[in-house]
Amino acid sequence: MMAQLFLTALLAMTGLYAWAASRRAPVVGGAVAVASVLGLYFVWLPSHATWIAEHVGIGRGVDLILYVWVVVSLLAILNLHLALRAQLELVTVLVRRVAIDEAEAADGRIEGAGETVTQGRLATGAPAAKKRASPGPL
Amino acid sequence: MVGSEAGLKGMRREARATVQEIGTSRATVVIPAYNESASIGPVVEAVLRAGYQVVVVDDGSRDGAAAAASAAGAYVARHAVNLGQGAALQTGIEIALRRGAEFILTFDADGQHRPDDLEALMAPLRAGQADFTLGSRGLGAMVGAPMTRRLLVRLAAWFTRATTGAALSDAHNGLRGMTRRGALRIRLRQNRMAHASEIIDQIVKSGLPWQEVPVTVHYSAYSLKKGQKTTDAARILLDVAAKALFR
Repeated sequence: MMAQLFLTALLAMTGLYAWAASRRAPVVGGAVAVASVLGLYFVWLPSHATWIAEHVGIGRGVDLILYVWVVVSLLAILNLHLALRAQLELVTVLVRRVAIDEAEAADGRIEGAGETVTQGRLATGAPAAKKRASPGPL
Repeated sequence: MVGSEAGLKGMRREARATVQEIGTSRATVVIPAYNESASIGPVVEAVLRAGYQVVVVDDGSRDGAAAAASAAGAYVARHAVNLGQGAALQTGIEIALRRGAEFILTFDADGQHRPDDLEALMAPLRAGQADFTLGSRGLGAMVGAPMTRRLLVRLAAWFTRATTGAALSDAHNGLRGMTRRGALRIRLRQNRMAHASEIIDQIVKSGLPWQEVPVTVHYSAYSLKKGQKTTDAARILLDVAAKALFR
């Protein structure tokens, strides 16, 4: 009974995790949810697992449960991989934003430097420095 | 010729003048680069001589490629970390759009591509016949390519045909052209090599006209060492499969 309650709690948490992940990764989330429900079913009705196992050619009910658990674990790992890819997308957006901003700032500094020097020198009456040629519009 | 007599600075001035003579056809070549300090300078200079503006996206290089590109006359943006060619291309496309480019072309940094082929890519875009032009080694030539690379090109074309329906002779060529309208429909999310399949997929789904253009790619020991490996095909397949599972 203790083992059944423990497994029920674990599988319920797995099912909740799958439900939360299903919006971002519907196929994986759905598959994990189905596997979790199956797992819960077999935890409380193990004799059915044996009946099903015999009919699908696995042999023992406990083996069927083990295989289901392996599938659930692999799907959970796949889901983690997909979550990491989502994080990588956020990193990419950030790195891109910084790269573009820095390039535009450097471009603005180069174009602005000549004007600043020119203005300064004009103010003192000294000969105006040449403004660095801008690359022009694309 | 005046350009050759005036030296490099003169060629750059002449290149800018050529761009202005083209008038409103403002064309930008986007070159993603990762550790290409050996080749990026000559590549940028050659593209500038052909009359195009150049945006180089340095993808976290550690060999001074960004400085070499800048010294050669390119507009350079730098990724702080290495993300992949797809990410660098998307950054370059966004920069070109922000800077008002009407046409955007993509070009490799390793010296495999010929600047002459840029005009072949531009012609259908300028004539309004297509919003996307795709360079094709199948229709053109692969000079110095080993047999494994030729087979890989065919395999990639077959895979792309199977997944997107696009009957391409070359699905993974870095030489591409697009109008501003086309570029606005591209949003690459695949950071690494799978972006080549992704861009084809987005081009097809955009519904905008596209066509293949014969181009010549020259393979050298340097470019073969730096370029795609045969094992990259497995990674591309995994990335494409993962994208199908991920929203």
